[in-house]
Amino acid sequence: MLKILIPTLMLFPTTWLVTPKWLWTTTTAQALIIATTSLTLLNWNSETGWTSSNPYLGTDPLSTPLLVLTCWLLPLMILASQNHISSEPISRQRTYITLLTSLQLFLIMAFGATEIILFYIMFEATLIPTLIIITRWGNQTERLNAGTYFLFYTLAGSLPLLVALLILQKELGSLSMLIIQYMQPAPLCTWADKIWWAACLIAFLVKMPLYGAHLWLPKAHVEAPIAGSMVLAAVLLKLGGYGMMRMIIMLEPTSKDLAYPFIILALWGIIMTGSICLRQTDLKSLIAYSSVSHMGLVVAGILIQTPWGFTGAIILMIAHGLASSALFCLANTNYERLHSRTLLLARGMQAVLPLMATWWFIANLANLALPPLPNLMGELVIITSMFNWSSWTIILTGGGTLITASYSLYMYLMTQRGPVSTSIMAIEPSHTREHLLMALHLIPIILLMLKPELMWGWCF
Amino acid sequence: MNPYVLAILLSSLGIGTTLTFASSHWLLAWMGLEISTLAIIPLMAQQHHPRAVEATTKYFLTQATAAAMILFASTTNAWTTGEWNIQEMSNPTALVLITMALALKIGLAPVHYWLPEVLQGLNLTTGLILSTWQKLAPFALIYQISPMMNPTLVITLGLASTIIGGWGGLNQTQLRKILAYSSIAHLGWMMIVMQYSPNLAILNLILYIAMTTATFLTFKNVTSTKLSTLTLTWSKTPMMTTMAMMTLLSLGGLPPLTGFMPKWLILQELTKQNLPLTASIMALAALLSLFFYLRMCYAMTLTIAPNTNNNASTWRQKSSQTTMTLSITTTLALTLLPITPAIMALTT
Repeated sequence: MLKILIPTLMLFPTTWLVTPKWLWTTTTAQALIIATTSLTLLNWNSETGWTSSNPYLGTDPLSTPLLVLTCWLLPLMILASQNHISSEPISRQRTYITLLTSLQLFLIMAFGATEIILFYIMFEATLIPTLIIITRWGNQTERLNAGTYFLFYTLAGSLPLLVALLILQKELGSLSMLIIQYMQPAPLCTWADKIWWAACLIAFLVKMPLYGAHLWLPKAHVEAPIAGSMVLAAVLLKLGGYGMMRMIIMLEPTSKDLAYPFIILALWGIIMTGSICLRQTDLKSLIAYSSVSHMGLVVAGILIQTPWGFTGAIILMIAHGLASSALFCLANTNYERLHSRTLLLARGMQAVLPLMATWWFIANLANLALPPLPNLMGELVIITSMFNWSSWTIILTGGGTLITASYSLYMYLMTQRGPVSTSIMAIEPSHTREHLLMALHLIPIILLMLKPELMWGWCF
Repeated sequence: MNPYVLAILLSSLGIGTTLTFASSHWLLAWMGLEISTLAIIPLMAQQHHPRAVEATTKYFLTQATAAAMILFASTTNAWTTGEWNIQEMSNPTALVLITMALALKIGLAPVHYWLPEVLQGLNLTTGLILSTWQKLAPFALIYQISPMMNPTLVITLGLASTIIGGWGGLNQTQLRKILAYSSIAHLGWMMIVMQYSPNLAILNLILYIAMTTATFLTFKNVTSTKLSTLTLTWSKTPMMTTMAMMTLLSLGGLPPLTGFMPKWLILQELTKQNLPLTASIMALAALLSLFFYLRMCYAMTLTIAPNTNNNASTWRQKSSQTTMTLSITTTLALTLLPITPAIMALTT
């Protein structure tokens, strides 16, 4: 673990000491080296157990794919931010990269934590850099409101989680995941126990987000700059999913009655947010709501607590992380040229930027879960396990798949096909950097088709 | 101010608090409190400005009332039990009266009404002394009587202070009033754990003093007393602006900053004592305070150039303040969380 943490920490001196001419090159290169090193984490000692050399940080097949995703995303974020930050003074550029790096550091420690309180502290610690990225570097005045919603929704969910964890520590004596996995879960008899059960999960449900508590997400994703949107969509939402998976295995397994309202909300949310996507005029908002929709499926998969449900959840989290981040990068390429997120203003781009249309095509196919991409594998596994849990869910999940396909197709046809928008006079050609960025997003998705066992979690 | 007078006043301030720390007799403790009150009065009124004089008068009246209540309660206890020792106080009426008197001294809700108005009338340095040094002596007394205090009263004081401190600060734009309500909220956290683990309350007090000192000194350095003038600090000192934002978030109790440590430890103590509902209410009430700290962060740091600013620029004069205290307290306010076990071993 240290072989990833120390280079990430060393990214701080790199950012502040390197000459301005080489800043972006050096940081991107170092972040790529860290990402390559993180791939060694995929070499598990045992297929279901923990690999840890110290009592505080460890990896297991659940956290490793997410760790690799996090490490992979940092060079991509730096690549994506290079253009819009370059007009600022050099110390602000360095501050921006420092924020991204500190976010990376907290995320690595969160995914690698074996002590639940360490996970909690790192979970909360990711809020501050994200808040600063959204509110300082966002582009519209609504970003302040977005930052407030983001911070307060997450904290209102996670402060009860802190109390719940402290209660758990009082009951069990230890909060180390290595130890708790062998302990008997306490039966939930009283109302207070049921509230404690809910308190354990609400923080992660708000973070995922679950449909009823999702209002922070469109605001935060839309107002954030590209690196903020990427890290939010790709990793921070998955932090909620990861936390939920860790917590729910320690809770009473027969709490199925308590999980009903959340499963219902999640499934209904897929339909609702998918339908909203069909009526969106703001491109980033469309992608944000599509994130809520996919995460609703993940939430449902986790809450039913079956092996296939978990596996599907992890696969969908990884695949959605890469695909959603790719879509945000594409939306950003439009934004940098037109300074507007309106869908109608960027019509018919295939005639103008044909190579970028390829990336739009692949990213949208990934979003609508085309076989054989891993997005489909995740969705199908979850839908199957939900069908096993209750046959009626197929109506909602099947309808959700249909609506996802519709809005993804709608997004592709609106932005790429049709007449070129008459208000566009001259558009910069695509930068090689942008092509590289998209390739680095989509090639891992395609490669994961070839070895999906890396993402299957404990169910090898 | 004449340096000799300043020397006498500051040393009296020190002597008063030290006297209260060192005493085991209620009368001597009361004397120490009165000496520190009397010593700070001229400091508060040094500018002879009507607002400063008003603040001084309000401070004097409330502190004198509290001191009289302390005297009354200790004599009642002495009359019924014959005991003047602070740690041997046993008469329940006297204990309730003493608790309310000390609550009035430090500004706990529901007897907090004097604190925002008094703090608003002072300059930032005297406000700093009021928020930090003047809390030490009453806290020494509260620490000593904590095993005997009425539990219901203490929890009521704690909960009310956190909630009122959070809600009261929401509508404020003057920085000193915001810091007054922040003080009330933090004092609520200290009180709530006082009867279960008084050492945690002292730890919270020490960390609060560090964070508040950092905040007051930052504001003094950029001479701003309103939210609107805070918006211009970035042009004077960009680095201090960033650090001040982090200090404010630390006051709000966000991990991984120091301010999270007392909240975490207090919530842990409360859950160990089977008070999870109290713990949850305290935690959620802290979100109210976080809102106005966040608003200060927005005004100061997160809306800097190239975003447009609607405020009239102020003169950018180089501050003659020495920054050693500011740098030490800022460092403490931001980086102590990883060494929590060491700090706990030192204080509990």
